[in-house]
Amino acid sequence: MAAADSPSAALRRRDLCSRGIRLAGKMRSDVVDLLDTYVERQGLDASASVAAVEGVPAAAVERWDEQTGTQRLLENLAAYRAFRVLLSQMLEEHREQLGEADAALGRALASVLLQVSAFAYHLEELLRLESRGPPSEEGAPPPPAPHLGLFERKLRGLGVLRELAQWAVRSTRDLRQLTKPSLGSGLAPSRAESP
Amino acid sequence: MFSGWNWVAYGLYILLNFCSLEVSGGLVQSCGHIIPESPVLALGSNFTALCILNESCLDFGNIYANQIIWKIKNRVVPKEQYREINRTVSSVTFNDTSSLATPLTCNILADGQIEQNIYGIAVTIGLPPEKPKNLSCIVHQVLKLTYPMTCTWNPGRHTFLDTHFRLKYRWPQENFPDCIPKDVNNSCTIPDVQFFVNLEVWVEAANALGKAESDPLVLDPIEIVKPLPPHNLSVNSGILPTVLKISWENRISGSVMKLKFNIRYRTIGDTNWMQVPPEDTASPRTSFSVQGLRPYTEYVFSIRCMKEDGVGYWSDWSEEKTGVTTEDKPSKGPSVWRIIDASHSPAFWTVRLMWKALEPFEANGIILQYEVTVRAKSSLSGPPEKYNVNTTNLILKLPNGTYEVTLIAHNRVGASPPSVLLIPATNSKAPVKNVRTLPKDGKLWVGWTAPNSYVLKYVIEWCLVSNSSDCIIEWQNEPGNVQGTYLKGDIKPFKCYLITVYSLYADGQGSGQSVKAYLQQDRPSKGPTVQTKKVGKAEAVLTWNHLTVDEQNGFIRSYTIFYKTVDGNETAVTVDPSKTEYTLSSLTSDTLYTVRMMAYTDEGGRSGPDFTFTTQKFGKGEIEAIVVPVCLAFLLIVLLGVLFCFNKRDLIKKHIWPIVPDPSKSNIAQWSPQVPAKHNFSSKDQMYPEGSFTDVSVVEIEADDKKSFSEQDLKPFDLLKKEKSTSEGHSSGIGGSSCMSSPRQSVSDSDEGETTQNTSSTVQYSTVVLNGYRDQTPVQVFSRSESTQPLLDSEERSEDHSGGGDSTSQRQQYFKQNGGQDETNTDRPCFERTKQITPANEGDLVGFAQLQISGQSSQLLGLGLEKNTQEAALPDVLQRSIEGQTVRPDKVEGNPPSADEMPKSYLPQTVRQGGYMPQ
Repeated sequence: MAAADSPSAALRRRDLCSRGIRLAGKMRSDVVDLLDTYVERQGLDASASVAAVEGVPAAAVERWDEQTGTQRLLENLAAYRAFRVLLSQMLEEHREQLGEADAALGRALASVLLQVSAFAYHLEELLRLESRGPPSEEGAPPPPAPHLGLFERKLRGLGVLRELAQWAVRSTRDLRQLTKPSLGSGLAPSRAESP
Repeated sequence: MFSGWNWVAYGLYILLNFCSLEVSGGLVQSCGHIIPESPVLALGSNFTALCILNESCLDFGNIYANQIIWKIKNRVVPKEQYREINRTVSSVTFNDTSSLATPLTCNILADGQIEQNIYGIAVTIGLPPEKPKNLSCIVHQVLKLTYPMTCTWNPGRHTFLDTHFRLKYRWPQENFPDCIPKDVNNSCTIPDVQFFVNLEVWVEAANALGKAESDPLVLDPIEIVKPLPPHNLSVNSGILPTVLKISWENRISGSVMKLKFNIRYRTIGDTNWMQVPPEDTASPRTSFSVQGLRPYTEYVFSIRCMKEDGVGYWSDWSEEKTGVTTEDKPSKGPSVWRIIDASHSPAFWTVRLMWKALEPFEANGIILQYEVTVRAKSSLSGPPEKYNVNTTNLILKLPNGTYEVTLIAHNRVGASPPSVLLIPATNSKAPVKNVRTLPKDGKLWVGWTAPNSYVLKYVIEWCLVSNSSDCIIEWQNEPGNVQGTYLKGDIKPFKCYLITVYSLYADGQGSGQSVKAYLQQDRPSKGPTVQTKKVGKAEAVLTWNHLTVDEQNGFIRSYTIFYKTVDGNETAVTVDPSKTEYTLSSLTSDTLYTVRMMAYTDEGGRSGPDFTFTTQKFGKGEIEAIVVPVCLAFLLIVLLGVLFCFNKRDLIKKHIWPIVPDPSKSNIAQWSPQVPAKHNFSSKDQMYPEGSFTDVSVVEIEADDKKSFSEQDLKPFDLLKKEKSTSEGHSSGIGGSSCMSSPRQSVSDSDEGETTQNTSSTVQYSTVVLNGYRDQTPVQVFSRSESTQPLLDSEERSEDHSGGGDSTSQRQQYFKQNGGQDETNTDRPCFERTKQITPANEGDLVGFAQLQISGQSSQLLGLGLEKNTQEAALPDVLQRSIEGQTVRPDKVEGNPPSADEMPKSYLPQTVRQGGYMPQ
């Protein structure tokens, strides 16, 4: 807590939040672009409904405004760690499937993966500033890649990206919520704020 | 020579090296080796190498470590650096590796002092890498989602070794593969970077001597982005004529970076950009309205962007886009001026109104027409006249007077404010003074001194003065508060411009003050062509024409005349440029001169063609002074000759065309003694009464006969001879020549001369009527026939009666017959005659004087001496004649006898008729 109270920690936290927000915004923008590319390259229908991706916390949450900052950060971190694994799997599958034939899509996936990693880093840093520290990844092992068919993998990838886009929006809101001066770490958010 | 020794040494070296080897197991084995093998050494460090001999070689060749010689290339290392460690190991130490070179060899001095190589190593000397400095990175946006980051650094000193640089970067929780530069050692580009996460970047340099890392650079790549400039610019004119709206698209997402902008613009043709105030475009946007533009003007726009907070780099400027503002009414009226031509009629002017088309920023659109209103200022003037014209000039014929001209320009939107020009009847106001020019900065500046009164504005007229074209007037207006301006026109160098400045007042105008000027002068295009107008003995008048304006290229400051003889020095004379003639003096006569002429401007001179002339041998009047006297002398000689011939005409005639009497035409038969009686000489008879005239005897004396006269005989004539010498001389020139003639000739001649002086009682011997011989005018004269043919009876009788057998006797008889006085005088007839003149009465003298005067008048070119003597003699005679008688010689001449009274043949008659008749 002492670290969180120091001015430098506050500035650091504020900076992390600020950049996190912008990173989330860029990530969303890139994911949206990637979704279009992905749907086109994978031959999918943009309106296809996809089941919820297993292992990823749902972005939509009830009582969002009642969450504490730490809680938000933890949920975000869990989500992005999951996305990091999933995107890594997708990227691996993409390379196995297409090799270097569709380098643009591969680069876009890699870029998003990097942003997810970067955002996860932001969250971890924020959690450290919260004197809580990020939970170890070993505690939440990534779900093993299910043995799916090619089409199912494509649909799953589509679902991952869609969920990531939603999470990018939520993360932006979460971080904005965190930057509000009235909100200290672990304090209950005001009810006026809702996602 | 040196090279040859080297080859010999090298061959020996190979041989010994071969001998030093022993074959073991099929491989060539050296007798020793050096430690370390091929070291890489830091420059400046110390280094020790060991040469270790194989034991097998010791016995084979008695080779020991104390025989080892170290060499660098072919240079032996000083023994001080050797150290024998044991009998098989020798070391060499170098305190500074900079003295090292490749190869470093270990050699042995074998028997016979033959040097044998044992082993050699290559030594590599270099430097460890320096710590890379000045690491900096920039993220270039190349596509909408592609952000490669390029980092550059200073690699440090040259290491002389193969040094590898790596750009390393990482997130705190994640490492990335190194960026390895290609072909360079000071920059590397990471293909894609992620924003909003701090990236730690550093450079690692490594070579065989070590490794060095730069200070890490921790940054968020978003802070070093140079974005792509906005694109798809469009420019739209708005409702207002001074506003244009620019729109564009940004190529970086707002979620990534919020942008601010710079907008710059300029008019077409202008190179200087104007910029919209940055604070107006400091927020994200995709359009902007630029205000304060000029109507109907085409503008070029360009835009750039950067991160809103100013962290990062500005993008490049976008592509340029143009737009035109809408029209507005003209902002001012055109400048108007006039040229008045009053030469055709004094009562009417031809006024050429001219005005300048408005500049685009003044016209604010397309000028459709000009409206000209001319209003006479006199009280009796009618309504103003209006003219609508599309051109920029208007020619009017107006009566003399004061006029006010108003000019308005119209475009599609509206009319301009009016421009007013007052044309006064006379330019009676104060003019400007001291008009001067000055070339400055490639332009021509005109200055003047303002008059004392308030000047509304000035008009500066100028035109190019040329022989090949008319003076086309250009002009410009200047406000009344200036006293100088640059001419706004295409002023060419080396051309003469006539510049006139007018002062314009609210109620009149000052007369124009002119000056000629050049923007830049040059040497004349050619020199004057000089030629001579007049050449004398010691001077020559040179003349030339002024150079034309086109040839001058500047103000002619002076002429210089250069002249020289063929072998002489050139002489220069400077002449005032206003002159077209110059007289060279002190020239040498009869000498060829070459003359040329240079015309000078401020920038130099140019010479005209050479012209040669030769001075005259004689000066003015010298030829006349020689020729005239020569001519006069010649004429005098000719005249004298003519006179001589004239005087000797008879002699000449005798020799050239002697008179041959024609007996058949002799009139002797018709001769009658009464013939003289026919002549009415009443007056003469009165003057010379019968018997009163003393008979004159002519005595002809042959030159040889003179001796026959004794001195005594001549004495009585001395006095008379002295007194009448002139008379005798004259007589000898006329009739008296008979004295000097042959006796026969003299009879005929003297007959006339003397008989004419005789009275009518003189017996006329014969009358011969001569027809014109050749061109001679036939004159009826009395003459004695000289024919040798038998005369007619009467004649013969008469001759016979005279009883003369020879000519002398005949003549004596003749004179005796005439005189009838004294036959004793026949021996000396001439003296006798003269002697008898002396007692003649005064009336006879008058007649003699008359004869003298007449003879004088007939002898127009008589010698002066004769004339003087005659004049000296004449008064004496006249004096005596006046005393005796009142008859005056001129009266005799003034009252000639009438035709009836004119004797047929008598000397005075012929004298009166103006000619002396020798017969």
